[in-house]
Amino acid sequence: MSKSKFIFTTLMLLLILAVLTICDLCFGSTNLFNVESSNPMFSSILYDIRLPKTLTSIIAGSGLALCGLLMQSLFRNPLAGPYVLGVSSGSSLFVAIATMMISSIHVSGFFIMGKSIVTLFSIMGAFFVTLIILLVSRKNKSNVTVLLVGLMLGQILSAFQGLIEYMSNADNLKTFVMWGMGSVGSTTLQDLYFVIPIYTITIIASFFFIKPLNAILLNEQYAQNLGVNVNALRLSVIILSAVLVGIITAFCGPIAFVGISVPIASRLFFKTSHHLHQMTFCLLLGACVVLTADVICQVLSSQFMLPINTVTTLIGSPVVIYLLFKSKLSIG
Amino acid sequence: MIDIKQLEIGYQNKRQYNSVFKDINLTLNAGDLVGLMGDNGVGKSTFLKTITGNLVPLSGEIKINSKSITHYTSQQLSQLLSIVVTEKIGGFNLTVWDVVATGRTPYINIFGKLTPEDETIITKALEQLNLLPLKDKLIDELSDGQRQKVMIAKSLAQQTPIIVLDEPTAFLDHTSKHHLFATLKQLCAEQGKLIIVSSHDLELMKTYINKSVMMAENNSISIK
Repeated sequence: MSKSKFIFTTLMLLLILAVLTICDLCFGSTNLFNVESSNPMFSSILYDIRLPKTLTSIIAGSGLALCGLLMQSLFRNPLAGPYVLGVSSGSSLFVAIATMMISSIHVSGFFIMGKSIVTLFSIMGAFFVTLIILLVSRKNKSNVTVLLVGLMLGQILSAFQGLIEYMSNADNLKTFVMWGMGSVGSTTLQDLYFVIPIYTITIIASFFFIKPLNAILLNEQYAQNLGVNVNALRLSVIILSAVLVGIITAFCGPIAFVGISVPIASRLFFKTSHHLHQMTFCLLLGACVVLTADVICQVLSSQFMLPINTVTTLIGSPVVIYLLFKSKLSIG
Repeated sequence: MIDIKQLEIGYQNKRQYNSVFKDINLTLNAGDLVGLMGDNGVGKSTFLKTITGNLVPLSGEIKINSKSITHYTSQQLSQLLSIVVTEKIGGFNLTVWDVVATGRTPYINIFGKLTPEDETIITKALEQLNLLPLKDKLIDELSDGQRQKVMIAKSLAQQTPIIVLDEPTAFLDHTSKHHLFATLKQLCAEQGKLIIVSSHDLELMKTYINKSVMMAENNSISIK
C-alpha cells in the first residue's frame, strides 16, 4: 500500500470515527441535539454518562481489534482472537474468582470494591490462558489443534465459571451476569483515568513490534533468520495482549466478535500485510465497530440497555461471512 | 568462509539425545556453489539448520569468517547468511513484493520503513529471478515453483554473503531449475557468494556445482 493511500485511508477512517463519536455522544434516551448547551443537564449527561461510555467504546473496540491482529499474526492463524482462544474466558473466570473472594470476605458489591483488583485478576486470567495456548502452539504446529485447544480451554474455564456462579449469592450473581453480557456503560471518568494510561502505553508499545511481526508472517524459521528474537516477540505479544484484553474485559465484560472479525475485515478491505498499516486500520476500524454497535444499542433501546455483545455479533458476523464469500483475497 | 570441525548434529532435550550425523569436517569458501546430496532422512536438513544457527550443534564447532557461529548475535547472523526452506508460506495478504521486502528486515528501522535504496535492492532481486511482473500478485495466487523463486529473491534481497537453500528445486519445472541454478552460479562467480544447496537432482547438481558434499548412512561423508 502506497504512503498516500495509507494516509488517505487513515484520514477517512478518522473522519468516520469522528462522526460516530459525535453520534454516540448525542444519541440516547435524551437526544443532546434537542438540549440547550446552557442547561445543566447537558453537561451532566455529556460528561458524566456519555463521554465515559464513548471513550470506553473507542478503547474497547480498538484494543480488542489490535489484540486480535497481534494474536493472528503471532499464531499465523486468521481464526485466532481473544474470544476464540479462550483468553476472554480466562479473564472472565478470574473476574468471577475475584468477585467470589470479595463476597467471601464480606466486602459488599462487586463494583464498589475497587476495580483495580478485578482488573488485575482479569489480566492474570488473560495472561494465564495465552501462555497455555502458546505452549500448545510450540508443541504442536497444527493451527487446527491450537484452535481446538483454545476452544476446549474456553469451555473448561466456562464450566469452572458456572460452578462459581452456582455457588455465588444472588446479588453477586446478577452483577456478574450483567457484566458477562458486555457493556461499555458502566465505566466512570475516574475509571478512565486508570484505563487510558495503560491503554496508551500498550498501544504505543505494540507499534515497536511492527518489524518482527512483518517477518513472522513468513514463518518462525524465516523470522529467526531475519534477526528476529522469536521468543522475545512471543512473550511481548502475550503480555501486551493479556494487558489489553484483561483491562478491557474487566471494565466491559467479555466482548465477542471484535477481536477476531475486525482484523479479518481489515485485511479484506485494506489489501496490505504491513503491520504499520494493519495496526492503524484495526485500531480505527475496531473503535468504529464498537461505537456503531453502541449507537445502535442506544437508538434501538432508549429505555433499556441492549447488551453490546448481542449487537456486535449480530451486525458484525454476517458482514464478515459475506466478505469472506465475496472476496478472493487470502486473509490467512 | 565456513569451517566445520568434528561437528555432530541432531536433536537434544532433557529426555533424549538423538545424534543424526557426526564427524563432519568441511571447509567452504566464498564463491563456492556447494551441492549437498544424500538420501531422505540422512540429515541434510538437520545439517543446514545447524550451520544456519537454527539448531545447536551437539558437539564440534562451526566457524564463519574464523568466528564461532555461537558468538554471533542473531542480528549479525541475519546479515551473514540467509535461508530458503521447503515449508510453504502464504495468506495474510502477502504479495510477492511484501515477501521479498522482508529480506530487508535486518537493515530497516523498527517501524519497517523501506528506504529508496531498499526498494532498489528488492526490485533488483525480483528482476534477477524474472519476478518483477508478478510483484503485486498475492503469494497464494502463485504456483509452487513461483513461490520458491520468491523465497530465493527474498534471500537475494537480504544481501548475505552466504545463502543456504534446502531443496529449492523441489517444485520447479525443468527450465526453471536450470534458470535457478544458472542464477546461483552467476551469483557465486560475480558476487563471490557462498551458496549451499541441497537437492536430489544429481544431474542438475553435476552441471552447475563446483563442490559436492555427499552424506550417506553410517556417518560417511564424501567431499569432491
